[in-house]
Amino acid sequence: MSTLSQSSQKALSLKAPSRSKIFMHILRTRAFHSKVDGFISLCFFAILLTAIYSIFNWALLDAVWLEESVAQCQAAAGACWSVIDARYKLILFGLYPYDLHWRPTLACIAIVTTIILSCLPTFWSTKRLSILWVVGFFTFFFLMRGGILGLTHVPTGQWGGLALTLFLFSSVVLLGMPMGLGLALARRSKLPVISYGVSIFIDLIRSLPLLTTLFVAAVVMPILLPDWMVGDKIWRVIIAFALFFACYQAEVFRGGFQAIHKGQFEAGDALGLSYYQILANIIMPQVFRHSLPGTINMVVVTFKETAIVIIIGFFDVLASANAAFGSALWAPYYMEVYVFVGLIYWSFIFSLSQYGVYLKKRMRIASH
Amino acid sequence: MIKTIKPILTTAITACAISVTSMSFAQSPTVKAIQDQGTMLCSGHNGSYFGFVEVNDKNEWKGLDIDICHAVTTAILGDPSKAKIIPLSWAQRFPALQSGDVDIIIKATGWTMGRDTELGLQFSMPYFFGGTQMMAKAELGITEAKELEGGTVCVEAGTTNERLIADKMADLGIDHKIVSYEKNAEVMAAYQSGRCDAFGGWGPSLAVLRSNQMGNPDENIILNDTLSNEPIAAAMRQGDEAFVDTVNWTLAALLLAEEHGVTQENVEEMAKNPTNPTVARLLGTSPGIGERLGLRETWAKDVIKAVGNFSEIYDRNLGKNSPYKLERGLNNLWSHGGVLYAPILD
Repeated sequence: MSTLSQSSQKALSLKAPSRSKIFMHILRTRAFHSKVDGFISLCFFAILLTAIYSIFNWALLDAVWLEESVAQCQAAAGACWSVIDARYKLILFGLYPYDLHWRPTLACIAIVTTIILSCLPTFWSTKRLSILWVVGFFTFFFLMRGGILGLTHVPTGQWGGLALTLFLFSSVVLLGMPMGLGLALARRSKLPVISYGVSIFIDLIRSLPLLTTLFVAAVVMPILLPDWMVGDKIWRVIIAFALFFACYQAEVFRGGFQAIHKGQFEAGDALGLSYYQILANIIMPQVFRHSLPGTINMVVVTFKETAIVIIIGFFDVLASANAAFGSALWAPYYMEVYVFVGLIYWSFIFSLSQYGVYLKKRMRIASH
Repeated sequence: MIKTIKPILTTAITACAISVTSMSFAQSPTVKAIQDQGTMLCSGHNGSYFGFVEVNDKNEWKGLDIDICHAVTTAILGDPSKAKIIPLSWAQRFPALQSGDVDIIIKATGWTMGRDTELGLQFSMPYFFGGTQMMAKAELGITEAKELEGGTVCVEAGTTNERLIADKMADLGIDHKIVSYEKNAEVMAAYQSGRCDAFGGWGPSLAVLRSNQMGNPDENIILNDTLSNEPIAAAMRQGDEAFVDTVNWTLAALLLAEEHGVTQENVEEMAKNPTNPTVARLLGTSPGIGERLGLRETWAKDVIKAVGNFSEIYDRNLGKNSPYKLERGLNNLWSHGGVLYAPILD
């Protein structure tokens, strides 16, 4: 008896092994289990280290940094970041008038702040979110466009770079999200005319390639529509893009609706709640939770798909990157420009997906 | 129904055209719209096309095509800064012209019958000539396509270059292989890695790549065969002859200025003391050039003052004052062994 209690006491006092111990254990059992395993692992580690070392060398140690030192680039073994130093304004703001660059700078800060703030749980009420987005979006829009408060008017045709990408992205999501919800609800309508009509519409749009949709909106519409309906090219493209987004997002929401048992509606009815009360208080919070992974996915994909507008002549961040290395002096350094643009995309998309992971954790707690 | 309407329309249009030409000069609706708005809408590019359309460090457009646009804008509005360059992709340029997004396409665009007829376009006289050519490593020691026996040629997929090279090789009856890639950058990488012996493409583009993206230019050589020769011209909407006249005479003025030695620098001096009657007419010293087009008498002088004559434009963007250092070649005046010439200014 006494020995047993002693050993159980000893067991209780055991600490969890340290991280480094776990790591060593995994290394021993998985990577160096046998001689062959060990050999393969060593080879792999050697390749990995060489790759990391040469990337590090290329990007940092052997790199040339300043615009003035571009002459050293030909001889240097590493990256020539001079091209970024000289052309970063073109990549970020496209063809926006050079001496007005403080405006897109502020505008980008405004819209990024809005996106970050709306990720904070404090802002998660319909009222707060809508105020935040109306303020944020219009600050961005009027800073870019000007024409009020003595700011020079800059037509949308001159917008470009990261500023244009952010503008397209945020307006598409902002318009598309409520449209998607509306379509998802309409598809569930008890009136066959509406539900069939909407599902045919959704399937129609979803079966068209995005590129075709945007090309028609940008290029063909002005030929077909009467003059007064044509409007600005950027808005035609945003509306078409938002419709496309909405149709996919409607299907994501539909999945969320289908996960909810019919009994919940009936229970709501039995309690005497109205249709909108049931929706707002019982159904929608659950729908949002269920459709969250799909929604984050849609948002990420949309951010990347904005690059497609290069085809219809918008000067988005990728088009301005092309222009950035599209001159004799900078032509050999396209790799550096692509790495820079890749990092911009990565930083946005990685933060978005990390935020998705955080949300999922948070919602899991809330649902129990 | 459509078939019966067509001849009627054609007659109506012809009738209009005849009545219009009988006037002293015909005001072009496009020129009038440009003057009313105070801006001229030209085609740009969604990125950059070396030497023709580029963006400088101040985020402003530059290049040969941009300078031609500035010349036309100056002729019509008197100020090159009133040109508005609209970024367009290759696929988008013709629909954009038809829908009125731009007034003119000046974008390394070749004059073809399909574009001239089916697409409803009207072309100016050519201002540049460039054709499909091939580039090879100098160490191969070849100068002509027929020496490529058993070789591999890399081209960009789906271009006219691809078809022209295949036709040419078949015509010469030599054993060869064509490898096509989706993007020009891939073709270049394949060529540089030694995957292919020759690189087929548009002559001026090859020359630009050779000059500044492939190490020492002497390591590569552009083969002598010109497989096609594309006349590059400005494209406009059908049915506005007076606008085509304006553009043609702007181009003519650039060439005439070169021929008679009028430059950006000496244009004022030449206007005061013209060296011959043509210069006097060109620079508006003897009136007529403006009235006949419905423009200012000094329009050609303003154009040369704003962008220089044709050789200045060429040298600045592609030639000896540019990083590319392309020879004038075909794009010289007829009197210097090229094929460019201006109509007579009487």
